Amino acid sequence: MGAILALKRVFGFAGKVWRLATEVHRIKATDMLTFEVNEMENLFTILVCGSFMGLPSPPAAIAIELLPYMEHELRLMVARADFSQDALASIMDMLHVD
Amino acid sequence: MKKIAFFLGKGGVGKTTISSAVAYQFAKEGKRVLIVSLDPAHNLGDVFQKSLANTPRSLDANLEGMEIDLAVWVEKYLKESREEIKANYMYQSAFSVDAYIDILKYSPGTEEYAVLWAIEYVYKEYGGRCDLIIFDTPPTALTLRFLAMPSITRLWVRELSRLREKILQKRQTILRINPKASIVRNLSEETEDAQDEPKVRGAAKKEDDLIYTKLSSIASRLAELQRLFSHESYLAVVVNPDTLSVAEALRIRQELGKLDVRLNSICLNKTTEGGEGRQNVEKNFGDCPVFATGLRQGGIGEVSQLAEIQAGGLKNDMKRFGQE
Ligand SMILES: Nc1ncnc2c1ncn2[C@@H]1O[C@H](COP(=O)(O)OP(=O)(O)O)[C@@H](O)[C@H]1O
Ligand SMILES: [Mg+2]
Repeated sequence: MGAILALKRVFGFAGKVWRLATEVHRIKATDMLTFEVNEMENLFTILVCGSFMGLPSPPAAIAIELLPYMEHELRLMVARADFSQDALASIMDMLHVD
Repeated sequence: MKKIAFFLGKGGVGKTTISSAVAYQFAKEGKRVLIVSLDPAHNLGDVFQKSLANTPRSLDANLEGMEIDLAVWVEKYLKESREEIKANYMYQSAFSVDAYIDILKYSPGTEEYAVLWAIEYVYKEYGGRCDLIIFDTPPTALTLRFLAMPSITRLWVRELSRLREKILQKRQTILRINPKASIVRNLSEETEDAQDEPKVRGAAKKEDDLIYTKLSSIASRLAELQRLFSHESYLAVVVNPDTLSVAEALRIRQELGKLDVRLNSICLNKTTEGGEGRQNVEKNFGDCPVFATGLRQGGIGEVSQLAEIQAGGLKNDMKRFGQE
C-alpha cells in the first residue's frame, strides 16, 4: 500500500517536473519569438515614421493615419531607443530643431 | 462619357477657361455638370461671376460649381487624427501629439494627400447626381503629384501590410506554443514608474488588429482613386502656340505615362483661324488628337461668351469614351 503511494508520489513529482520543463521550454521558445516580433514591430514603426530619420518612407500622411493605433509601437520604440520620456523632444534633438 | 475630366497645362494657357467652357456647353446640352476648382488661386468664381463655396452652388441650368480649400482639408484631416489619438492613447503625456502632428502638416505629401480625399469626397458625395465632374486643376507640379500619389502610396501600404501580417503570424505562433504568453512586450514589467500601466493586449488576428485593418482600408481607398484616374477620367493638356507651354505639355505626358494614366487629347488654345503652331503640336503629340479651341477677340468677360470657345471637337471626343 505504502509502496504504491510512494510510487504515485514519485510519478506525481516526475509529472510536475515534466510539466515544468515543458513550460520552461515553451517560455524559452516564445521568448525568442517575442523578441523577433518586437524587432519586427520596431521595424514597422521606423518605416512608418522614417521620414524623421531621413529614411525613405511613405508619405507622412500614412503616418498620420496610422498614428492613432500606434501608441504601443511608439512606446516600444521609445523604450528601446533609450529616449527620454518625451519622444518628440528626442526626435527634435536628433534633428536639431528647437 | 467618362465621369471625370481634368485639364492640365502651364499657368495661363486657359485651363480654367476651357474647363468652364466645356462645363457650360455640356450643361446647355442638358448634361448635369459639376465644376470643381482645386486651384488655390480659385479664379473659377470670377469666370462665372459668382462666389463659390465648399459645397455646390448653382451657376446655370444643369450646372453647379464649388471650390476646394486645400488648407481646410489638410486641417480637417489632421484634426480627425488628433482627436482619434486623444481618444485612443492612454499615455498622452509621453508624446507631444499636437507638436508631432504640426510637423506632419508641413511634411511633403500632405497637401496632395488632402487633394485625393477631396476628390474622393466630391465623387462619392455628388457623383451620383451629375453626368460629369470637371476639376479645374492647381499648378502642374501639384497636379502631377496628386495623380501619382495613389500608385506610390499603395506600394508603401502594401509593404507595410505585409510586414504587419508577418508580425501577426508570429504572434499567432507564440500563442499556439503557449496560449498564456503575452504576445506583445509589456513595458509595465520593465519600468518602475509605470506599475499601474495596464497590460497591452496585442491582436494576433488580422481582423482584430487596428493597424492592419486601417492599412487595408487605406489600400482599398487608394485603389479606388487609382481606378478613378486611370479608367474614369478624361485627361487633356491645354497648350498655346508657344514653345514653353508645349514643352510643359510634353513633360506632363511623360509623367502621366509613368503612372498608367492616359492622356486623351491636346487642346490647342488661343490660336486664330489659321491655327498657327498646329503642325508643331501635332508633330510633338503624334498619337494624341489635337483640338483647336480658338481665340476669342477681347477675351472672356461674360459667362455667355463661354459658348464661343470652340469646344465641339473636344466634347465629341469626351463623349466617345465609355466608362470602362
Ligand atoms: N480661347 C481664349 N480666347 C480668349 N481668351 C482666352 C482664351 N482662353 C483663355 N483666355 C484668357 O486667358 C487668361 C488665362 O486663362 P485661364 O483659363 O485663367 O488660364 P489657366 O487657368 O490655365 O491659368 C484669361 O484671362 C482668359 O480669359
Ligand atoms: Mg486656372
